[in-house]
Amino acid sequence: MNNSLSEKLSELKADFADSADLTVRVVTLKSVRNIRAAIVTIEGMCDKEQLSQSVINPLMPYDFGMLDGEQAAQRILSSVTASSDVTTFYTKQELITYITSGFAAVIVDGAETMLAAGVQGYSFRGVSEPESEVVQRGSREGFTEPLRVNMSLIRRRIKNPDLVFEQASVGGESRTQIMLCYLQSRTSPKLLGKLRKRLERCDLDSVLASGYLSEYLEDGKTSRLFSGVGISERPDTVCGKLTEGRIAVIVDGTPAVIIVPRLFVEEFQGVDDYSNRTYYAAFIRLTKYLSFFAAVFLPGLYVALAQFHPEYFPTMILIKTSESLAQTPLPVTLEVLAITFVYEIMKEAGLRIPKSLGHAVGIVGALVIGESAVNAGIISSSTLMVVATAAICSYVTSPLYPPVTMLRFIYIVIGGLCGLWGITLAAAVMIISMCSKTSLGVPYMSSLAPFSLRTMRDVFVRADWKTLSKHVIRVQKFKETEAESVE
Amino acid sequence: MNKLRFSSKRFLLTLMLCACSVILLQNKDLSPNASFSFNIICMLCGLSVCFLLFVPSLIIKRRTGLDFLTVARVKTPSLRLPTAVFYSLYLIFTAEFFLLPYTDMFAKKYYSGVTPCAVALLLVLTCVYAAVKGVNVITRFGIFLFGFAFVTNALMFGGSLGSLDFSLYGFELSGGSGDFWRDSLYFVTPAFIAVLYACLSGATENFRLRQPVFALIFTGVKFALVLFFIFFSLGDYAGKQEYPTFTLSRAARLGSFGGIESFYLALATMSVFMIISLILCAATKSVKRESDVKYVAVFAAIIFSAHICGTYIDSVKEIFTSTGLFVILTAAAALVPLGYVFTGRKSNARKALRNTDMP
Repeated sequence: MNNSLSEKLSELKADFADSADLTVRVVTLKSVRNIRAAIVTIEGMCDKEQLSQSVINPLMPYDFGMLDGEQAAQRILSSVTASSDVTTFYTKQELITYITSGFAAVIVDGAETMLAAGVQGYSFRGVSEPESEVVQRGSREGFTEPLRVNMSLIRRRIKNPDLVFEQASVGGESRTQIMLCYLQSRTSPKLLGKLRKRLERCDLDSVLASGYLSEYLEDGKTSRLFSGVGISERPDTVCGKLTEGRIAVIVDGTPAVIIVPRLFVEEFQGVDDYSNRTYYAAFIRLTKYLSFFAAVFLPGLYVALAQFHPEYFPTMILIKTSESLAQTPLPVTLEVLAITFVYEIMKEAGLRIPKSLGHAVGIVGALVIGESAVNAGIISSSTLMVVATAAICSYVTSPLYPPVTMLRFIYIVIGGLCGLWGITLAAAVMIISMCSKTSLGVPYMSSLAPFSLRTMRDVFVRADWKTLSKHVIRVQKFKETEAESVE
Repeated sequence: MNKLRFSSKRFLLTLMLCACSVILLQNKDLSPNASFSFNIICMLCGLSVCFLLFVPSLIIKRRTGLDFLTVARVKTPSLRLPTAVFYSLYLIFTAEFFLLPYTDMFAKKYYSGVTPCAVALLLVLTCVYAAVKGVNVITRFGIFLFGFAFVTNALMFGGSLGSLDFSLYGFELSGGSGDFWRDSLYFVTPAFIAVLYACLSGATENFRLRQPVFALIFTGVKFALVLFFIFFSLGDYAGKQEYPTFTLSRAARLGSFGGIESFYLALATMSVFMIISLILCAATKSVKRESDVKYVAVFAAIIFSAHICGTYIDSVKEIFTSTGLFVILTAAAALVPLGYVFTGRKSNARKALRNTDMP
């Protein structure tokens, strides 16, 4: 950029097309040469009081004497500003990045050096407990939207210089700031290199949520059911993962932090497991695994048994199920499919409906659609019970909800067409698909397949802390990890 | 799929599960005159032969760290075509040896009226998917199958405990020399895993000699348990019917909980699925160095076509399900590597293979 203040400002205004939120305050500094300076900010991005106290108030009365523009800029940096976060820069690109991030840029006429003072003060949602990851015994803090606040939430928990935040930006138009966060001594450099390359490949125009990036971080096709990219809104969860050698990607403007690599068994681990007694944690884990199987297979198995093998039902259940099914007009497969589909519609409606109407929708769903349909003989009560149980079970492992829902539909259709045999074959295909998946080179089914006895102490059961602390799990140490082969 | 080497132990666990499927699909091959003790002796003889058939490929693996097919390709490039043809045909024959009894049992015992070819088609199609993913992934699947097999066997044996009826006849050594040869021959059928090992062992590491020994011991234990329960739980007459293991699972009951045959069927289905997937991988390996979806699809089409012939032409079915022929071909396929064991010394073999890329 040219050193002339007026040219710099006109260039900047042209770039912003005289946008209403671009604020430029031109002042004349107290000096022999009457040097002019400009303080450039974006309206609403900085704290005006802080701007006055740390930049404008110290700048105006200061006597710069005989200093020229460049010397004045250096003096402002060294002796004038009261801001704790002041940095120098030289290019227009940097100027735009700083002011759009809430910094106040100080441009001195005739100086090549420009200054950015950290006076960010935009309004944002406070730190609160994430609704999707509620815990009984643990921190109530959750990530929020600003990147720096999220960084501080992690730093407060890991007070160790080993924790590194590496800045990058993605999105051609949005230039969203992201922060790679990892523990230097525990993360594989190869894994890190792989992640950086994938982020470089991101050619999106705008990145408005972490979900945009997660598809770029997946190994292989993104059309697969299960995701190898984890998301968490809890700083304690992220810190726990960092200590295992994983990498977190914080995206500015979203509370959902990406964690890679992500393994299947992690979906069944919760923060509470590590606070509860070991036997109870083990019980909860097993309950979660059972719920996952029930959510995926229960409606399909019910259809297969009712249609092809009713003799497998215990006699009393067989009598009641047969009676109930005999009164309904639809075949059992269609009935289960229809109820599952209606349930998904109601769930979607419930998510988007205003809270005040939520109860009314619940009553309509439960009483009108459910009870009335059973009384009218349109659907059978046993079918309704099976679908409802599967639906509740699917929320036990909520991150797996999308694949579980899809699989449930698939197994209902297969169970209706091919019975138990079809379900067996489909399950084999599902397991093969899951076993072939990797997350940043780490096998997705690690701990189970490839089997590792050492890591099993935190899979189906949770060993006590004395045992867990003896051998720290590091993700790159899992068997058959491709940490040594960077793409 | 990645070309990482995986654990030899896991590969042998998978092969052990494949070997156990012989007893799952067992039909009328055991002599009706032989007692339980007599069959155990035959089994020990049969499994010893299985181990002997393992030896050539174990030596090659130990010397070079590679599978037999890669070694053969490097050492005798001129014999590449005959080797590929022989092993491809043998592997297709093996696939039929398992697929035909499976679909037959399925149609006769489980879903009466279903077309066996439709069952075979769906099964082979899913095997194509697994074979394309590679041996490593199939062996990972083997871990889950092992867990499921454990549960199924526990249910099957636990459910048969109540109906155990020991007869002294079962423990007597009754059976002639003809019965001995017949039964021993039957117990050599698991030796097909030695051929699969010879074809696919190049992708494994951490090989130890005890691994195949343990695999065969566990196969023997499983065989012995199934035979024990068939003899003493089902009784003499039921044990001599077609597919007695299926009958055992159907008869097993844990209190009021029945229907264990559905677990058995799932186990048999997954075992056959795993065998055919491995066969497709091995067959592709015999003609091409790396897994290729086109070759896998071609072999799958051949297996399905052969199955149609076997289903509708009785003489073809007899050939495909002949235990004697299967054992002879298996022995031939397992002993071919022996020629390569004696053709070069250890140091020469290493030198020849030094520049060979990993499979």
